[in-house]
Order: sequence, then C-alpha cells, then structure tokens
Amino acid sequence: MARQLAGAEAADDLVQETFLRAWKYFETFDSATHCRAWLFRILRNVWIGRWRKSRLELPVTETGEEQIEPYYDWEDEFLRAEMSADVERALSELPADYRLAILLADVEEFTYEEIAHVMECPIGTVMSRLNRGRKMLARLIRTSGDAKASNLQPDEFVRRTP
Amino acid sequence: MMDCKNIREIFDLYVDGELSPEAIVQAEAHLAECDSCRRAVDRLNRLRQAVKARVGHYQPTAQLVARVRKSTITSWLRPTIWTFAAAAILLVAATIFFTPHVRSVVANGLEFVAFHVDDSRATVMEGKLLCRDCLLKEEYGYHAMCPTRGHHGSLQTRDGKIWHILDGEASEELIHNSKLLGRTVRIHGRCFRRASSIEVDSYEVL
Repeated sequence: MARQLAGAEAADDLVQETFLRAWKYFETFDSATHCRAWLFRILRNVWIGRWRKSRLELPVTETGEEQIEPYYDWEDEFLRAEMSADVERALSELPADYRLAILLADVEEFTYEEIAHVMECPIGTVMSRLNRGRKMLARLIRTSGDAKASNLQPDEFVRRTP
Repeated sequence: MMDCKNIREIFDLYVDGELSPEAIVQAEAHLAECDSCRRAVDRLNRLRQAVKARVGHYQPTAQLVARVRKSTITSWLRPTIWTFAAAAILLVAATIFFTPHVRSVVANGLEFVAFHVDDSRATVMEGKLLCRDCLLKEEYGYHAMCPTRGHHGSLQTRDGKIWHILDGEASEELIHNSKLLGRTVRIHGRCFRRASSIEVDSYEVL
C-alpha cells in the first residue's frame, strides 16, 4: 500500500514513520477498532502530512468533480494479461482518494466501514469513491492499452517489412 | 424485483460483499436472468482481481523490518533506559542513606579519594577528643554502632571543625580508647585538609 501511495523509494520511510507513530500514540488505539484499519489510518495521515510538507508533490484530487463514467461496459478482452502492467500505471494516475479507496477495498479487502474509518469519511463517500474510481480506472487502463496498441503498429510494420 | 438501472447502482456493493442478505437474493435473481448485467459484474470482478494481482502484497525487505524494529524498539526503550538509570541511582542513594555500614564504607571511600588527592603538611593540632559516630548520630540521626563496636575518636578543634583521625599505630588509643573522650589533646602529625583528616605521629593528653 505504501509503495502505491508514496512510490517505491519513499514507501520505506512512510512505513517506518507509520509504525513509529503507532508506537507513540498506542494509547489512542481503540480496541473496538480493527488493528489493521487503525494502522492504515495512521499511514494515510502520515502520507497526507508528507504532502503538506512538500506541496509541490501534492497529487491533484478530483473527488469533488463529477466524473461521468459509463457503467461497467468495457470490452471483455480489455483486461488481458499483457495489459495488467497498465493497471499499476492507471492506478497511479487516479485521484488520490479514489486510488486509496480502491486499494483498501481490493487489495487490503477492508469493509466499507473500515475504509470509512481509515479515510475519515462517511460510508456514502467510500461508496462513491469506489464507484467513480473503478470506472475511471477502467477508462485509464483502456486508454493506455489503446495507446500501446497504436504505438505497436509501426514497429510491427517495420519488422515485417523485408 | 430489481431492474438493470437499480442493480448497476449497487454493483460495487454486490462485488464487495456489502449488500444485505435480502438484497443479495434480489440482485442474484436479476443476474440470473440478465446476461448484460452478469457480464458487467464479471468485468468488475476481473478489474478488482487485476488490481489485486498487480499490486498484491509487497513483502517488506529485511532492511525495512530492521529499520522499523530499531526505530520503534529504541524509541520505546529510550525512556525505559533512563527510568532504569534513575531508579538505579535512587536505589543506590537510598541504600547508602539507610544502611549505616554501606554509608560508612562509601564515606570511607570518599575519604580515601580525598586523602589521595590531598596535599598534606606537617602540623600540630590541639583540640578535644569526641566520638565521631555519636556526633553524627546527634547531628544527622546516623545509626551509630557505638554500643557494639565502641566509640570512634575524632578531634574537634577550637573552630568547631571535626578532624578524622587516620588509623595507625600511634592513633590507636586516640581512636579506640573511650576513656580519652572529652579530653584535650595535642597531636603532632600530618594534616590532610581536603580529607579533614590527621595522621598521627605522636600526641599528648593535656
């Protein structure tokens, strides 16, 4: 998760800072809360805190904007194995809140309630972030897949030319 | 019965397992009959799996584990180490304060140090012989062992200062003969100012 949020280089620092804060503020841990959710909440706060320190790196969050995305009606073959490399890139292009919601749901398999706890927002917001985020993600993957396909054509042409 | 519009609004909840059992029954009833919605759910699931497969769970490097462990454990231990140190100092101080024997050993040790860093010079001192332990008892509540170990003679000069008489053949009587207590004596010997001590060469009872 840290690698997805902060990139491979800064991820270790993010994790270290997260655990350090968790130790420091362990008394704030409510035993009724899922421990992992609590740790992810700290991770998110550390991550946000770092953004504030270096505003130049602040990713643009578009969660306030209404993105009109189609329903899940993308082509059946668009998630072929060779396109899965694009998934990571497409994720990195998502607005931060969408990306975080998707990672928490699909990778960490948190419930909506836990995601709401981590992201400090209502459950309704989690739902809309997931819905919009996934649609946008599919569009980004599809776009980068199409771009790749169009870039490949000249190479294929050159190779096949005697 | 759900229609396509209704179910597409709750696709995410369905695939994320967030629907109530009743809603799941309704959604599945629709999916069983609607090929288009079934395919849409399938695509959504594949997207979720693609994300999970691509991102997955990164195994932290041994280096990162060591970093985290070091930063958390040391920060946790740091105050504890100081707490232990403070406790140890307090314990030693309390032991010294409350244990007469240890207290005199420490006092003798300090005196030994003072004695060795001191300049000594030949002197003749005149004063009254008093029991050091009885004085300490009177002054500081020191647990004097005089009834069992006998008195310990010291010299009080006219300025009120108490001089410790160093053990030696010539000083044996001055220190341990209780009958001399209260008597005025003149001591010839060497004076160690910082150790507040005198080494006796000879003496005379006045």
